[in-house]
Amino acid sequence: MSTELTVASYKTDLKPIWCPGCGDYGALNPFYQAMLDCGLQPKDTVIVSGIGCSGRFPYFCNTYGFHGVHGRALPTAAGMKMASPHLNIFAVGGDGDGLGIGGGHIPHVARKNVDLVYLLLDNSIYGLTKGQSSPTSPLPMSSKTAPYGYIEDPLDPLAMYIAYNISFVARGFSGKPKQLRELFTQAIRHKGFSMVHVFSPCVTFNKQVTFKTFNELVKELPEDHDAGNRIKAMEYALDRSTLWTGVFYREERPTIHERVVDIQNRAGRFKDLNELLDDFR
Amino acid sequence: MAKKFMKGNDSIIVGALSAGCRAYYGYPITPASEIAHAAALHFPALGGTFIQAESEVAAINMCYGTAGMGIRVMTASSSPGVSLKQEGLSYAAGAELPLVIVNINRGGPGLGNIAPEQSDYFQATKGGGHGSYRLIVLAPNSAQEMCDLTMLAFDLADRYRNPAMVLADGFIGQMMEAVDVPQAKPVPYDHSSWCVRGDEATRRNVVSSIVLDPHHLEAHNLKLRDKYAACARDEVRCEEYRTEDADLIVVAYGIVSRIVYSTVDEARERGLKVGLLRPITLWPFPSARLAELAVGRAKAFLSVELNTGQMVEDVRLAVFGKRPVHFYGRCGGVVPGGDEIVAEYARLLKGGGHESH
Ligand SMILES: Cc1ncc(C[n+]2csc(CCOP(=O)(O)OP(=O)(O)O)c2C)c(N)n1
Ligand code: SF4
Ligand SMILES: [Mg+2]
Repeated sequence: MSTELTVASYKTDLKPIWCPGCGDYGALNPFYQAMLDCGLQPKDTVIVSGIGCSGRFPYFCNTYGFHGVHGRALPTAAGMKMASPHLNIFAVGGDGDGLGIGGGHIPHVARKNVDLVYLLLDNSIYGLTKGQSSPTSPLPMSSKTAPYGYIEDPLDPLAMYIAYNISFVARGFSGKPKQLRELFTQAIRHKGFSMVHVFSPCVTFNKQVTFKTFNELVKELPEDHDAGNRIKAMEYALDRSTLWTGVFYREERPTIHERVVDIQNRAGRFKDLNELLDDFR
Repeated sequence: MAKKFMKGNDSIIVGALSAGCRAYYGYPITPASEIAHAAALHFPALGGTFIQAESEVAAINMCYGTAGMGIRVMTASSSPGVSLKQEGLSYAAGAELPLVIVNINRGGPGLGNIAPEQSDYFQATKGGGHGSYRLIVLAPNSAQEMCDLTMLAFDLADRYRNPAMVLADGFIGQMMEAVDVPQAKPVPYDHSSWCVRGDEATRRNVVSSIVLDPHHLEAHNLKLRDKYAACARDEVRCEEYRTEDADLIVVAYGIVSRIVYSTVDEARERGLKVGLLRPITLWPFPSARLAELAVGRAKAFLSVELNTGQMVEDVRLAVFGKRPVHFYGRCGGVVPGGDEIVAEYARLLKGGGHESH
């Protein structure tokens, strides 16, 4: 088992079947490298995905994989982490999956501070279902479900994550793989729920939010940004003129697993069920 | 107006607009997304509302809100999405709300695939949600019927104050066929006796599915039972082809009924006397008609479905042991060819057929 890990250790034989130029390639490669940087054993690693083009991630990683239910990657991943806390757990999904149908799960995994990493690949469109509006589609972007232009304001995911008090919040861009590798690495090393939001353009169905858009607007957070300052993090998140990338916010606090163990220690009075039944009222 | 050439999925929206529906709430899913695309395009063009909900759960509850105001409303999805809507359907049935839901049945269980199946028959006809309720379930087999039965669904939903479902499959949804666009004006229903519109007339009405007192809830359930009994008595629809002298009566709906229909004459040329009974309403099911045929000259029945055996249970209940009832099914998106089905007729009619597979 002591064969040395290389990037190849994390790749499967499957050639990714995303469209040529899809942003998701730009997230996958730095992800392999980050797993290597952190020395993750493929056999101890699980990637849970939702449904979407982004949901194909596990097929291309030589880890364990779980292609789950649309919008439910996060609770499924949380269930795995509860059952096997020693595993490295990732959840991966798109903006529709994670912020639309599954959006309600994020604050609750944040409150639990489940020790896992969530990669949300945001292309501001429903890619797999061929081009409907998503919760991050900007106004007045048109789509198959918005032939006259979209009529709902887009979410502000970063501000939301910070408001939810997720213990690690970062944002990157598939067009900047070097930084992404660094963000993924830090996210993996963070103890607790780590959210990495990735701008990952869909070149096939989204002609309005593109690589060009991000190349123009994306900028790395200043080096002296204090990631312990939540108010400052929120300020950067709400900035409309620049799309900042980097680690916005980070805080060390107990994970749900640590708290469960604490309860077990406090409540664990019995050595077996019979003893409990003797005491049962 | 002249016939229009269109896809089954588009035809649903033409039917809905013809029925006077102006509110659509949906969430994308293959192979039902085109219904939402057509709604997004056409509903606003007639002063209607199309909203893409954040999930199927949100969409069905938006329907609940609109239906509670006595306004015609619909949603459409495909199997996994329809599973998410079951809670809302149970509540709507409990609160006696008319609304229309379309299910373009795809391969299951779970994520399955996006190919056509008829595997949601149980979910649709036996009540996918909790409680003693029924859905009115209509099964079109052509682009024309996608339109006509959607209109009928609105009508029955209003008449019985109950959710009605159009249950179709990806084939019918994708098929381009000529559709006679209906000219009839929708029958307006006066819902002011029960709906809550926020006006003087409906000030005292209550829309709710909660009945805490056990006796009151029992009374409510018995009232629903009687309503369903009336619906089952009056609303059964089915179509038959050469059943009068058939030895084998084949029961099939949706796309399968088209395939079976195409085999009947050919089979007869080969000396296999078969006939087709096609349920158009899956609930209420044409049980009485099947029971009649079961004491006639038919020797056996065969249910052909795109699943591992669902409607066949209702055929057996109707035939009630009077004749053998066989099943032939393919699933996962595999559709039986005519030859394959005729071979099954031959096997059953020329011996070798055992009851229930
Ligand atoms: C319950 C349910 N509803 C709808 C779908 C259909 N569906 C599959 S992926 C998807 C959204 C894809 O968009 P996104 O999450 O942004 O991922 P992308 O393809 O853009 O990466 C939808 C609506 C489904 N599989 N299950
Ligand atoms: S459709 Fe868009 S998101 Fe999906 S693989 Fe193609 S480019 Fe990527
Ligand atoms: Mg997307």
